[in-house]
Order: sequence, then C-alpha cells, then structure tokens
Amino acid sequence: MQATRVFALCFLACWGLLSADTAREQGIQAFSEGRYRLALEKLKTASPSASDPTAHVYLLLTYAALGDCKTALPGLANYAAVRGVPLSKMAGLAAVNCYAVEDDYGRVFSTLQALEARFPNDADVLYLAAKQHMKAFNNSTFAMFQRAPASYRVHELSAEIFEAQNRFAEAAAEYRKAIEANPSAPELHYRLGRAILLGAHTPEALRQAKQEFLSELKISPEDAACEFQLGQISLAEGNSAEARPHFDKALALSPEFVDALVALGKIDAQEKQFPQAISLLKRAVAKEPSNERAHYALLMAYRNSGELENAKQEKSILDGLQKPKDGEFSDFLKRLGEKQPDR
Amino acid sequence: MKRRLLLFGCLQSVFLVAWTSAAVRSYVPNFRNIAAQAGLTDSFPNGGSEKKQFIIETTGSGIAFIDYDNDGLPDLFVLSGAGGTNRMYHNEGHDRFRDVTKLLGLQSSGWAQGVCAGDFDNDGFTDLFVTYWGDNHLYRNVQGRHFEDVTAATHLKQGRRRYNTGCAFVDADRDGHLDLFVANYLKFDPAVTPGPGANPYCFYRGIPVNCGPKGLPFDRNILYRNNGDGTFTDISVPSGVAEPEGHYGLGVLTGDFNGDGLPDIYVACDQTPSLLYMNKGGNRFEEEAVIRGTAFDQNGKAMSGMGVDAGDYTNEGHLSIFRTNFSDEFESLYRNHGDGIFDDVTLGAGLGQNTKYVGWGTSFFDFDNDGWKDLLLVNGHAFPEVDRLHIDIHYKERAILYQNLGKGRFRDISDHAGPGILEVHSARGAAFADIDNDGAMEIAINNQNEPPTLFKQAENPPGHWTLLKLTGKRSNRSAIGAKVKVMADGRQQLSEVRSGGSYLSQNDLRLHFGLGSATTVDRIEIEWPSGVRQVLENQLCDRVLVVTEPN
Repeated sequence: MQATRVFALCFLACWGLLSADTAREQGIQAFSEGRYRLALEKLKTASPSASDPTAHVYLLLTYAALGDCKTALPGLANYAAVRGVPLSKMAGLAAVNCYAVEDDYGRVFSTLQALEARFPNDADVLYLAAKQHMKAFNNSTFAMFQRAPASYRVHELSAEIFEAQNRFAEAAAEYRKAIEANPSAPELHYRLGRAILLGAHTPEALRQAKQEFLSELKISPEDAACEFQLGQISLAEGNSAEARPHFDKALALSPEFVDALVALGKIDAQEKQFPQAISLLKRAVAKEPSNERAHYALLMAYRNSGELENAKQEKSILDGLQKPKDGEFSDFLKRLGEKQPDR
Repeated sequence: MKRRLLLFGCLQSVFLVAWTSAAVRSYVPNFRNIAAQAGLTDSFPNGGSEKKQFIIETTGSGIAFIDYDNDGLPDLFVLSGAGGTNRMYHNEGHDRFRDVTKLLGLQSSGWAQGVCAGDFDNDGFTDLFVTYWGDNHLYRNVQGRHFEDVTAATHLKQGRRRYNTGCAFVDADRDGHLDLFVANYLKFDPAVTPGPGANPYCFYRGIPVNCGPKGLPFDRNILYRNNGDGTFTDISVPSGVAEPEGHYGLGVLTGDFNGDGLPDIYVACDQTPSLLYMNKGGNRFEEEAVIRGTAFDQNGKAMSGMGVDAGDYTNEGHLSIFRTNFSDEFESLYRNHGDGIFDDVTLGAGLGQNTKYVGWGTSFFDFDNDGWKDLLLVNGHAFPEVDRLHIDIHYKERAILYQNLGKGRFRDISDHAGPGILEVHSARGAAFADIDNDGAMEIAINNQNEPPTLFKQAENPPGHWTLLKLTGKRSNRSAIGAKVKVMADGRQQLSEVRSGGSYLSQNDLRLHFGLGSATTVDRIEIEWPSGVRQVLENQLCDRVLVVTEPN
C-alpha cells in the first residue's frame, strides 16, 4: 500500500514536471511564431522561476509583446542588466520599447547606452537606437514648432534639416530668416556661410559666404572655424597669400585645429618652405593619426622636399587608412559572389 | 623718301603687331551650335532620359574626328548606345557632313563606349578601335574606301563580356607598331546587378538611382602588344597594367610625362584613385599615381574622374594633366614639375568655382589663337533622376570654357562665350578639330539621346596659327607619340600627337598651335617616337603644314 502510494505520488510529480516542460517548449515555440496569447498561456502554465531564466525571459517578452509593459518591465530591466544571461539582449530591446511606450526617455536612452556598450556592432541594437533618437528628435521638433513657432530657432532647425538633406538653397533661405529674427544669435552667419559654400563655389557664392563669415566674426570674434572658412575662400579664389593670415589666426585661436595646421602646412609646402611645412603637418598627424588629408599633405611635402623614403612611408599609412573597412563592401560583394559575372 | 617709306613700313608692322596682340587679349569668342546646319541631326540613344536602371546607361559614349580618306578634312565618327548605330559622317567641306556609315560598313549595335584612332598596320590610312560593354571592334581602314572588322583576325576578341571604356593606340615599346591600351570600368551583369535603391550604393541625395560603381566588382585594364604581323597579344599581366586592383577606369590619356622619351599612360578613375602607369621600357609599366601626385585631389581624396587631357598650359615645356570629375567635386589640374612629378594646382589656377557640374569630355585648346592653351569641358549629370530634386544640379548642363590668362591662371568665360556654350545637354564625349582648316578649332560633342553638338565660332579669332600634320616613317605612320615644340612670338609651346583622350574620344591627330601676333613660326622641333629629331625653321603661319619623318 505504502509502495503504491509512493509510486502514485512519483507518477503525479513526474507528470506535472513533464507537462510543465511541454508547456515551456510550446510557449517558446508559440512566441517565436508570433502567437503571443498562446505563448502567454503555455508559459504561465510552465510557471518559470529564477532557476529557468530562459523561460522567464520569454514570459516577460510575451507580456511586452502583448503591451503589458507594467508586468514585463521590472523583470526585463533586470535581465537586460545581467551579463551572461541568455536573451539578455532581447530583454534589453524589449525594455527600451516598453520605456518608450511609457514616454520614459531617461530610461530609454540609459538602457540603450548600456546595450550599445555591450553589443557595439549589433544591428538590432543600433537600429533601435537610431529609431528612438529619431523619435525623440521628432517629438522635440514638433514641440518646438507648436510651442515656440515665432522663435528664430524654428528657422535654424529647419535650415539644419534642409542642410542634412543636401538642400542647400533652402537651408540658406531658412538661415536668413533666422538671422532676420535674431541678428545677434551666434552660429547663424557661420552656418549660412557654410550652406552657401556647400551649394556652390561661384565667385558670387564665395563673396556672399565671405560676408557671412565676417558677420559671424563681429558676433563671435574668437571663432576659429570662421577664420578657417575665410582662409578656404581665399584659397578657392586662388589667393594663398590672403589665406595664410586667416589660417594663422584660426590656429592661434584654437591650437588643436588640425585642418588649420594642414592648410598652413600646404601653403608652406607650396612656397617651398619645407621644414616649416613638414613640422606643421607632423603636428597634424600626431594630433589626428587617422586624418587622411594630413597624411597626404605630409606625403606631398616630403616628396617635394626630396625626402622620398619618408614620402613612401606616408603613402603606406595613407593606403592603410583608405583601405575599405571590413563590411563596407564585403557583405555586398559576397552576395554578388553567389552569382559573379565571369572572371 | 625711300627711308621714309621704310620707316612707315616698320611703323605699320609695329602697329599691326600691337593691334593683333591687343585684339587677341581682348577677344571674346562666340561659340554656336551648328550641328543641325551641318547635317548632324541623328539622335544617339543611350539608356533612359527620365530614369536609368543600370550604370551602363550613364557612362555614355565617345566621339572622334578622324580624316579616314586623307582628303585633309577631319570626318566625324559618333558612337551610340544600344538601340542605335555608330555613325561616320564625311566632311564635305563648308561645314557640311554626310552620313556614310553604310557605305563604309560601320553599322553596329550594342553599347559602344570609347573610340581611338591610329594606323595600326602602317598602311597610311587611319584605323578605328571602338570599345564596348561587350565585344570591342577594330576596324581596319581599307584605302579610305571602307572599313573591315578585323577584331577576330587581330586576336582582339575577348573571352567574356567586359565593360571596356577609354582606349588609346600607343607605341609603348617604340618599335614603330602601335600597341593598344584599353581601360575597364567594372564587372557588370544586369542579371545580378541590383536595381535602383536596392542598397546604400544605389542612392543619390536620397533618391533611388542606378547602383554603382561602388559596390560593383572591379575589373582590370588591358594592354595589347602589336606583333607587327597584323595581330595583337594581351600583355596586361607581364606589362604590369593589370595591377593594381580596385579601380573603376574611364578616360585614358597617353603622354611622355617624365620626358624620358617613353609614353606613359594615365587613367581617370571613378570614385577610386586615378592611375598613372609609368613606362619603364621593355613593355614594363609601374603604377605611380599617388607618389607622383595625380591619384587624388589636394586633400588626398579619390575623385570621380571621367575625362582627361594633357597640355602645356604654362608654355614651360611640360605636359600637365586636367581631369573632369563629378558634381560636388572640384575639377583637377595637376601641374607637371617637368619630371613627371605633379602638384594639384586646381584652386590656384582659378578652377575652384564650378562644383555643380559632372564633367566628361575635355581638352586643352587655343580658341583665341593667342598661344596659350585654354580649356573646355562638357557636362551632364549621370542621373536624370536628379531633376526631381529641383536643386541647381541638373541632368542637362552647359559646357564650361576657361580662358588661359597666362601665369598659370584661368578665367571662366562661359557666360560670355556664345549661345552654344550655354546650351544644356547631357554631354559625354567631346572631340576637337579644325574642320575647315581656317585656324579656329571646332568641337563635336556626343549628347545622351540627342543629336551631337558642333561648336563653331561665329567669327575667326584674331591670332595667327599653324596646323601640323605629321606622318611617321620609322615611327608609326600616325606619328602617335611625336612631341612637337613650336617657337613663335617669343613663346615656346609643346604638344604631342595623341590617340584617345578627352572622355572616351578622339581629337584630330593634327596639332593646332595658336601663334598670337606672330606671322612666322621661328622654329619647330619634332621628336619622333623613333627618336629621330627634326627641326624646321621660319615656317609661314596660317596654314596646314605637312611634315614627314626624315629617313
């Protein structure tokens, strides 16, 4: 009798375990097929605990997928933060989406930051980060247009959006409106000058851009970028003598300004002042070892000064920098390789 | 009385010289498009005009001036994309051309890309080579009466479909037989090439456009050695031109850039560093563009190189290189130090103004005959879809004419150079010749899906000129590679007879020199490819001078 009872109890316990295991698997399967209601039913039956984190994360992901972020979030956030837990990336992604539903952008971005640190090359993480940043940008833009429509900032932001879309004429028009609304705001003349230059390099465009950079300097007399742009305009006009003082000033205002170092180095090299040129350009590559412009200018300066070995060394550095990064073409070429044109 | 007359004569000639110099300096050209009056009314198809599915529709085709019947007047050969035929137009004189395509046996089909001319069999008649996406064709000129396709017989058939682009006949080993260089763009197969918008390389400013060149597989360039027995052998690998990998080659330019007497080869490359193959002798080339300064722009960035030409624009006796590039890029002018070492002087030369055009065909030429080589480039965007953006970059664009001011500086005079320059087309190849031997250069342009353009000045420029036709004897008959120095009016000019060049095009093989106010050419020095040097002195100007290589 005793033995029969023990057997019966064991049978019932094993049956319970077996049925819990089956429910767990069925729940996970249902989740992966997008049948979230069935997944919830099965995973709840399996009643996973801390001893089975995989099933527990699936249960939380199912809650999140069904929009029950309140139930899902604390657990998801915990799992997202723990390294080595299976599905921790998925938990993190779902947590970000849940925080976004709750308009908790503080937690959206802190969770994303943690995910990006742990999975820096993960396309899902990067995609979600881009999407949430875009959403936050859209929300802020909408808020500004709604709540402060008369501000010059509205035009400034419109201009920046046009600029990002390479619509430089429209960008310039918006910058002009922003300047009209607030003539003394810093940056606007600079951005307008730059938009003009991005659109064209005709003599008229150069003249207008120059005017804007000069106007910016009246507002921000220590703006090294403005001095640099004025130097660039002089170069585009074929006047390196006029360009030099602008680059000098840019460098004096901002001694770490690599582009100014390069520009001055190139002018020196052009004037056959090679020791001076090489010294400036070496400073530039020391500050920014991956700056291709600086390496190329140094290569040319070495070559023209007769230091061919140094020139060749710079060439090999430049070759390395210009080599396409892994993944840039390779994935696409591999796909093409499935049916390559004849060799 | 006699002394007074003599004095008057002297004063008169001083006055005339002074007047001519001043006239040349202040001369403003008036270029008009006379194609329709000249009988050039056929349209040349080249892919879509509203949108383009594949890159093959964008690269367009070249155009050539060659005097195929040796009547002293350059004839015009225009290449076509799929759906049309290449056409040869005979120059009838008086600015009229007649279609003689059928008569000469030059009907064709397919995507013709580039054209270059040279007398590969040294029979005294200029032959034609036409590159294709697909099989290239070598047309042997049979006594100026018709052309015979000798591609197979000369062993120039290719084993697979290649995207051949620029080409040039060049006597690489100076054996008197013209070898042949052919640039290749990329590997293109419409069956596996993604459509517009398929991946990040298939967009332009946010709109879907045809894919490439980035993302499409690279191919390699080709050098064929002329065996001297009517056949060619592919020596790309042993010669070194098959290397390096990773370049999208378009325009081809030959020239002796380091003055060692051996022709070098430059290839304008799209979105990748351009190539400079330095001739080391013995049919060996080494690619040295980066260190010689002709691979990149002045920031070390690869441009989208299209067309290319070389010219001694400073009259210092060195061939500098000019290359056309894409929109949002400067054009590239590389000034030659004289030893084949170049500096990018684009901005300093005043060429830093036009960044909205996609440039193609180009050449140094002296439109005002002042003795300083000017520059013309023709434009047209790669993507017709760009017009949907409503920005100031357009599919059809005008040409640009730069006047050489001397001292290494140019001025853009396009707005005042006549209505022809301001006409908008999606231009590709451009070829230069004096079609009526009057000393003023004309320009023919191959436009996508339109009849060609023929630029002619409404009035002849005031400066004097000379036009040299060279015939080789020990050298190749076309004298390709011959270097000519002309001294007049206190200036020395240098030019080279060249096959190919511009954008996939061929200029008249005769050399044109503007002489300013000089009424005689003091001295002409010719360095023939054979090494023979020839000097002519006190030649009359304003005429075609025929020079044969001495025995």
